[in-house]
Amino acid sequence: MSRSLQKEGHKPLPYPPGDFAIWILILVELSVFFVLFAAYAFTRLMHLELFNEMQRTLDADAGLLNTLLLISGSWCVARAVAAIKRTLCRQSAHWLLAAILSGVGFLVVKYFEYGAKFSAGINLETNLFYTFYLSLTAFHAMHVVLGMIILAFVWKKAMTDGYSANDHGGMETGASYWHMVDLVWIILFPLVYVMR
Amino acid sequence: MSTHFLNVIWIALMVATVLTSFIGKNTAMGAGMVVIVLLISAIKGWLIIEDFMALRRVKFLWRGIMLGWLLLTLSVILLAYWLGIK
Repeated sequence: MSRSLQKEGHKPLPYPPGDFAIWILILVELSVFFVLFAAYAFTRLMHLELFNEMQRTLDADAGLLNTLLLISGSWCVARAVAAIKRTLCRQSAHWLLAAILSGVGFLVVKYFEYGAKFSAGINLETNLFYTFYLSLTAFHAMHVVLGMIILAFVWKKAMTDGYSANDHGGMETGASYWHMVDLVWIILFPLVYVMR
Repeated sequence: MSTHFLNVIWIALMVATVLTSFIGKNTAMGAGMVVIVLLISAIKGWLIIEDFMALRRVKFLWRGIMLGWLLLTLSVILLAYWLGIK
């Protein structure tokens, strides 16, 4: 291989993987979450005792388990994209299914977490901390659901050999959105469950 | 990207998550621990952006926007917590 071709091979790609439109959506979503995180952090500053006391009532193990599930889901999606680049269609579909199941696991944990709070009489109006906790985590969970729906469509197409090593932009689009959902939780977890 | 490398990133992210949880449960959350927890989050976010999102080989503009969002978000959180501890 000539030096110029080698250079070409290492040239940075002009655009991120997947459809350009998904990256516009990702940037909008990240901007919204930035505002929500900043609002939580500075509201906490004005109600330190309340936030520190209420945070201890959260199920930190549920937060940990959900973080592990989302990271694993992201890994599965990355493996699915790596597999389709080698034209391993069926293997790619299996990784996508595993990612969707990690999303299901996340929602099951959230269901029990919310269930425990609601049965203890806690709701959005209990106090400012729980207004933020329920709003932030529910808003994020909606993104998990949307990510799972997108991955389900990608999985269906992958099952019918709809992607190949040269044509898998749709899968990369879904993957990028799912990684964004994971990235947001990476900050949400320490912010809401860990740091006091 | 090799699947082996993706596996290594996954394990690193899992270990970092368990470490974050351990710090939250077993230490008094002073300023130092807040910085460590946010630093771990920064490393995790960086790995997700560069390796899972596959932006490592994309023009810096896109990586810069994503990494900039990560740093800005964590910096604002750090500022709010620092003011609270102060």
